[in-house]
Amino acid sequence: MRNIWIILVSLTLFAFLIGWFKLVNSFFVAILLVTTFIKAHLVSEYFMNLKSVTLNYRLIPTMWLIIVLSAIAVAYYLPVAN
Amino acid sequence: MTTSNNKDPQPIPKSILPPGDFAIWIIIYVELVTFAGLFIGYAFARRGDVELFNQSQLMLDQRSGFINTLILITSSYFLVKAIHIIKTSDNEKTSIMASRWILAAMVLGSSFIVFKTIEFSDKFEQGITLSTNTFFMFYIILTVFHFMHVLLGLIILYNVYKKTKIGGYSTKDHSGMETGASYWHLVDLLWIVLFPLIYIMR
Repeated sequence: MRNIWIILVSLTLFAFLIGWFKLVNSFFVAILLVTTFIKAHLVSEYFMNLKSVTLNYRLIPTMWLIIVLSAIAVAYYLPVAN
Repeated sequence: MTTSNNKDPQPIPKSILPPGDFAIWIIIYVELVTFAGLFIGYAFARRGDVELFNQSQLMLDQRSGFINTLILITSSYFLVKAIHIIKTSDNEKTSIMASRWILAAMVLGSSFIVFKTIEFSDKFEQGITLSTNTFFMFYIILTVFHFMHVLLGLIILYNVYKKTKIGGYSTKDHSGMETGASYWHLVDLLWIVLFPLIYIMR
C-alpha cells in the first residue's frame, strides 16, 4: 500500500510542478485529467478497498470519474464561440 | 485428498457490499453527485470568460493547494494502515497501534483546516467575496463546501479514534472504523479532483 501512496504523492508533485512552472497548455490539460483519473481511481480501488467488492459497487466511483473528467475535458477543448 | 491440503492459493471471494455501513455509501454517492454538478458547472462557467478565470486563478497559492493535497493523501494512507492493523491481529497492542494511526490522520486533517483557514483569511482580507466574480464564486463555494466535509470527517474520525483506543474494534468487528475511513477517503478523492481543476488547469 506504500507504493500506492508514493504514486499518489508523485503524481501530485507532477501536477504542482506543471502549474508552478506555468507549463499548462492543451496537451498538459489532457495529462492532468489522466493523472487525476489515475489518482482518484487508486484511492477508490486501494484506499476505499473497492477492488475487493463486486463489480457493480466498484464501478460507481469509476463511472463518476469518467463522466466528470470527460465533461471537464469537453468544457476545456470545445471551441469557445465569440 | 481434501481441499484443506491443497496448497494452491484460493481466490479471496469478493464482498457483495462496499466496506463499512452501507448508509455511509448512500451519503458518499449523494456527495459525488453534488460535487460532480459543481465541478462540471465550474468547467462550463469558465467558458463564459476564460481570461477572467485565468487571471483570477493567478491569485491562488498553488503551494497551499499542493500541501493540502499531500496532507489528505497521507492522512488517507494512515487510515488504511489503521484498518490493516485491526483486520490482521487481535492483541492488546493492536488497538493502541491502530488508534495512533487514526490520531496521526486527525493531526494531518487538522493541519488541512489550519492551512485552509489561513488561505481563506488571506482571500477575505483582499476583499474577495462570493460576488467578486464567477471564478471566485465557484472557488469559495467549492472549497468552503469541501472544508465543511473535512470538519465533519474529523468529527467522525474522533469518534472512531475514541472507540479504537478502548478496544472497540477487532478482527471480526471493525465495520465502524471502515465506515469512518470510507467517508475520509471520499474527502480525499474529491480534493484530488478539485486541486488540479481550480488551482492548476487553465
